[in-house]
Amino acid sequence: MVAPLPLPTGERGRVRGSNLEIGILHVIARETMSSRTAKVPQTQFRKRDLFYLVPLWFISLIAPDPYLYHKKGFKKKDIFYLAVICLAPLIWSDSHFHHLMVLAGIYAILALGLSLFMGYAGQISLGHAAFFGIGAYTTAILTTRYAVPTFLAFWASALTAALIAHLMGRPILKLKGYFLALATLGFGEIFLVIVRESTNLTGGVIGIFGIPWFSVLGFSFDTYLKQYYLAWGVVTGLFIFSKNLVRSKVGRALLAVAASEDAASSVGMNVSKTKLEIFVLGAAFAGWAGSLFACIMSTASPEAFSLGFTILVVMMVVLGGMGNLYGPIGGALLLTWLMDLLSKYQEYSLPIYSVILILFLIFFPDGIGARLNVRVIYLIGYWAKKKKRNKGKL
Amino acid sequence: MLLLSIEELIKEYDGIRALDRVSLKVEKGRIKGLIGPNGAGKSTLFHLISGVEKPDSGKIFFKEKNITSMEPHERSALGIGRTFQTLQIWGNMTVVENIMAGMNRRLKGGFLSCGLWLPWIRRSENEALKEAKEILDSLGLLGKWESLASQLPYGKQKLLELGRALAMKPELLLLDEPASGLTPLEIEQLSEQVSQIRQEGVTVFIVEHHMGMVMEIADEIAVLHNGELIAEGTPEAVRKNPQVIEAYLARRSHTNPALPEL
Repeated sequence: MVAPLPLPTGERGRVRGSNLEIGILHVIARETMSSRTAKVPQTQFRKRDLFYLVPLWFISLIAPDPYLYHKKGFKKKDIFYLAVICLAPLIWSDSHFHHLMVLAGIYAILALGLSLFMGYAGQISLGHAAFFGIGAYTTAILTTRYAVPTFLAFWASALTAALIAHLMGRPILKLKGYFLALATLGFGEIFLVIVRESTNLTGGVIGIFGIPWFSVLGFSFDTYLKQYYLAWGVVTGLFIFSKNLVRSKVGRALLAVAASEDAASSVGMNVSKTKLEIFVLGAAFAGWAGSLFACIMSTASPEAFSLGFTILVVMMVVLGGMGNLYGPIGGALLLTWLMDLLSKYQEYSLPIYSVILILFLIFFPDGIGARLNVRVIYLIGYWAKKKKRNKGKL
Repeated sequence: MLLLSIEELIKEYDGIRALDRVSLKVEKGRIKGLIGPNGAGKSTLFHLISGVEKPDSGKIFFKEKNITSMEPHERSALGIGRTFQTLQIWGNMTVVENIMAGMNRRLKGGFLSCGLWLPWIRRSENEALKEAKEILDSLGLLGKWESLASQLPYGKQKLLELGRALAMKPELLLLDEPASGLTPLEIEQLSEQVSQIRQEGVTVFIVEHHMGMVMEIADEIAVLHNGELIAEGTPEAVRKNPQVIEAYLARRSHTNPALPEL
């Protein structure tokens, strides 16, 4: 019996190089150590090692390394992700998959904006669905009532959401923690009430129908495949923007505000301005996502922007991992896919969904991005050792 | 030249006068110490200068400009840097990022230009990184520049906080009990750092319990007792001042026998 080595915790910054590479070293060390203490003559190399070392090395190529996100710019892995995003719909050419990925892309935009506000600046917003709704309704109203081109409506949506966020944020962002959560929650509910009651403008509970496809200069995004590239093109653009943001002075200001507001203002950072700016940016992201959503679903109705939807987006950010930008995109993909998978179980889908979410939160408290690497290594290492131990007993 | 001037400051908490008509002056290029028994109002005075709290009456002038009603970040933008009595580093950032965040005020660029990573942003980021490493080098922290700040030992975190305050190039540096919790060796290093900072032309205003350190490095010392300024002058003069001795001895005999010798 060998005492287990401590898990590679992968504390950010202390390790140089990839988290997974360290993990592989750990597995190797554990393997060699256990064989030494058991006084088994040490073998040079076993074919069995390939079972986990090769897959681990492969995973280390593709899995993002959230601990190192802050100091590096773009890496080769990002090009790999981009290639996967570009090629996936061509390889998996199935219209259901395409539609699902379009939705996941839209949620990813939303989660990206929220993760800047929650994961970096350390604030809480439970009213993000309202900005998504504002974006969707702006596009719906402009395109159906005033025949504004969708491309212009796309920008107008983000602008409207940002403007309203600016007006809301000034008083609301003075609050902190639970109070901020409650205030934003209230804002989301007020938005829903306004949408339902102002029948002339928004069509009330029925909503607005017949929103045209998104089109740029006469090119219409009328198939799922085209929409896929539209949505993920926007995700890529906004991801690059966010990544640049968090590695520059703005990112440092956000992290500083999250950790200690007193210290942030002691070096001349305007804390309330920083919070307001990132809130407005998150709202603009949501406005863009809402505009795309309206164009792709061709409808806008109030139930799409309820509290449940906000919670879903917050879950995407939390599950994906706060404080890194790959997390929310991964969370959006995971939850969209999970909801679709469970939808065939009908009335059992919600309980199953909740149980899965709870399990994720228990086993991946820092988000799937941060823990997946370590867990995979742990499981494989454990499996290998168990097999060996059984063999020794025999 | 006069850098900081405090006139007739009054601050009350629930009817208790924490500061009673305190007037102080800090000359440019000097190290001024502020001492006093526990509860004398030293930290309150610091909070008022850095803007965390506002005085009930009185005025504060920095570089002949009235800053009494300014927000903390506006004051630090004018050139008042500070460290905190309870350590306030940003543990979610690396050591070098802490220093670079301290420079933020001097770096150009807003949300849009940073998000688009325009050429001058890249240039200024690279320059900031280089400068931050130089600051870390002078503090002896360069070996740990990539570690998370929360993983440093306490003494190094204190140094990092000092470095962060220096990174914003302040004209006046407020140090709130920098030596608390440090080992004698670390206190010695800190004294050297502070003297070094003064030689670079930064004025230092320091609150400290560690008498040995403050008597050694300060050019001038002010003594607060029960919210009033009871003495001001060179370390020797303060040490011999009967009022000061009484204030400390009275405390020493009754409540706090462990207070250090003057």
